[in-house]
Amino acid sequence: MSAASSSQSPPAIASISDVSALFQNAKKYEELNVIGTGAYGTVYKARDLHNGGQIVAMKKVKVALTEDGIPLSTLREIALLRQLEAYRHENIVRLLDVCHSGQSVERDHQLVLFLVFEHVEQDLESYLKRAPGPLSENRIRSMSYDILSGIDFLHSHRIVHRDLKPHNLLVTSNGRVKLADFGLAKTYDTDMKLTSVVVTLWYRPPEVLLGVSYNTAVDVWSCGCVLAQLHTRKPLLPGSSDSDQLHCIFRLIGRPPRSEWPENISIVADSFPDYQPQDLGEVIPRIHPHALDMIKGMLVFDPAKRLTAWDCLKHPYFTDEPL
Amino acid sequence: MPYWYYDKKDLQNTPSFRDGISNETENRYRKEGARFIIDTGSKMDLGYNTVATGVVYFHRFYMFHSFRTFPRYITACCCLFLAGKVEETPKKCKDIIKVAKSLLTEQKFASFGEDPKEEVMTLERILLQTIKFDLQVEHPYGYLLKYAKCLKGDKAKLQKMVQMAWTFVNDSLCTTLCLQWEPEVIAVALMFLAGKLSKFEVVDWNGRVPKHNAWWDMFVEDITMELLEDICHQVLDLYSPQPQSSGADSPPLNTPKTPKNEKKPPSVTPPASVSPVAPIPSKPAITPIKNGADVKVEPPKMEPIRYQSYPAYPGIPPPYPPVYSAPPPSIPPPPRLAITGPPPMVYSEPPPGPPARFPPVNVPPPNYFPPLPGRGPPPPGPPPRPYYPPP
Repeated sequence: MSAASSSQSPPAIASISDVSALFQNAKKYEELNVIGTGAYGTVYKARDLHNGGQIVAMKKVKVALTEDGIPLSTLREIALLRQLEAYRHENIVRLLDVCHSGQSVERDHQLVLFLVFEHVEQDLESYLKRAPGPLSENRIRSMSYDILSGIDFLHSHRIVHRDLKPHNLLVTSNGRVKLADFGLAKTYDTDMKLTSVVVTLWYRPPEVLLGVSYNTAVDVWSCGCVLAQLHTRKPLLPGSSDSDQLHCIFRLIGRPPRSEWPENISIVADSFPDYQPQDLGEVIPRIHPHALDMIKGMLVFDPAKRLTAWDCLKHPYFTDEPL
Repeated sequence: MPYWYYDKKDLQNTPSFRDGISNETENRYRKEGARFIIDTGSKMDLGYNTVATGVVYFHRFYMFHSFRTFPRYITACCCLFLAGKVEETPKKCKDIIKVAKSLLTEQKFASFGEDPKEEVMTLERILLQTIKFDLQVEHPYGYLLKYAKCLKGDKAKLQKMVQMAWTFVNDSLCTTLCLQWEPEVIAVALMFLAGKLSKFEVVDWNGRVPKHNAWWDMFVEDITMELLEDICHQVLDLYSPQPQSSGADSPPLNTPKTPKNEKKPPSVTPPASVSPVAPIPSKPAITPIKNGADVKVEPPKMEPIRYQSYPAYPGIPPPYPPVYSAPPPSIPPPPRLAITGPPPMVYSEPPPGPPARFPPVNVPPPNYFPPLPGRGPPPPGPPPRPYYPPP
């Protein structure tokens, strides 16, 4: 909009630009320090100046504006996040506010969005690092349940997290776990082949590594890896590259039979040695037998045969009386 | 989370009112803006959901801004543009502007400025900020269809009733009802109204339990007759001739504020009313419903409202934009989380509609997905919101 527009035609929205000055949300939040930087934005710890200085986590996401303004996909994702928030699921991090800085827009055709989340001090990665010794059986069980509840909630809304890892799981001061950072969450779409560079290597399921289309089962795999890590406090499958990750996986669960190998992919089953399945019970010593059974069901090669998050929540590991 | 429901006091003390625009004029602006979104949307073959979402954005927007600062037609365009994207029925901004231009007088279109597209783009960001990115909006349509499924009675009459209620829902967009009540409540009230007018007496329904006095009790708690009547009257008021429409086509923009600018000679143009329906000569005095802390406008001369006192309802109001008014022919209504227990579904025939008139509706609604197969019960819905706005 040019100032010229005010000269002839009614000064219609000549004031819009002035008004947009009112919308500098940076004023609403005072940035304190960077919490983390990801591929999709930087997360700041910030103070909510309108809310008694409450500490929040503010994710700054740059959105490239298209010829038709804010891209549809971004709007859809935000709409969905907002909608999910109505459920106030206790294993999902609270989304408190969404705003944008009216400022930097004109310069480089970008809009900076701020997604304001509740601030949780700790993530599971640092929690496990700091743990003085093995977690108690009950703690592991309750954390496992929290994570699965959060995943099940997302899945029931057709959202695939796609990047579950200890770093994205927040641990509250009373030990509850909340899922965070599903900025990548895309509405589930069976036919869509999603970009393959989304899940952190160690938690990446075989179908993603093999470049096959995937679905909610990816989160169950990642979760299985995380649950195993709750027991050992070490990553279960610490691959160093895409192919090494596949070797790690097949060393653990065995090379899948030909019948299960996906069709129409460039990688052939024979490029891997004929690994035999390992006993997960030996990899995770002293694990509760029910927990072992459930995690085995989550780390299944064929996504269709994997347990769902809902199956897991109904697993005897959670439903049986404690031993 | 933002809360989008207001009591009547808030609806009178709006930014526009504080800016010197009378409530009557503001209501007319709202009506014209909504009407314009409906017309533009229909002309562009946008579905009823997208149109309704755009209108809700529009009403919400003017709870934060004055019509004097933001001319209504460009805001309306922007709302429709954004709704198109959110509902996954995107339309190019320039196309919307093209249609808008064709529907508006030159004088009104002048408010779009020299670079209308750029104006809309700028406005989009203001709009988003204003509505706090709360983009997903629910409408009464889905509830209407869902509720209709549970009602027992003569099929033909039921269908007629549903169709009439559908038209009322369309028309209700021109009121501020979406700023007062949840879509569930509006759906109930307008079905109630349509039932009265089409003489469809609901005597039984599926899912009935002894404690239910009326069919809607199983969907929404605590709906009083007063409330229903208030909602109905707000919609019916659309069809009665306005006492006078203040002549101004647009509020003066950025001019010195003259709060008394509302005394205008009655306009010669007919009021921008919605569906052409026989004028209602006299309306029984109604008590403004208490909606939270309310202002008593008039001494309540409360008589039980007799809908018979309205002139014979001329059937379904003729669809004004020919493409928009009737329920879709064969949309399986999306099952939603019931406010109270979900009723068994029996009513299998979709409401009728004149064929060939339907806009290409997007079915199922883009944000609706069937439940995951082989799953247990759905997760608990959002906590029921109070039907009375908090103090």
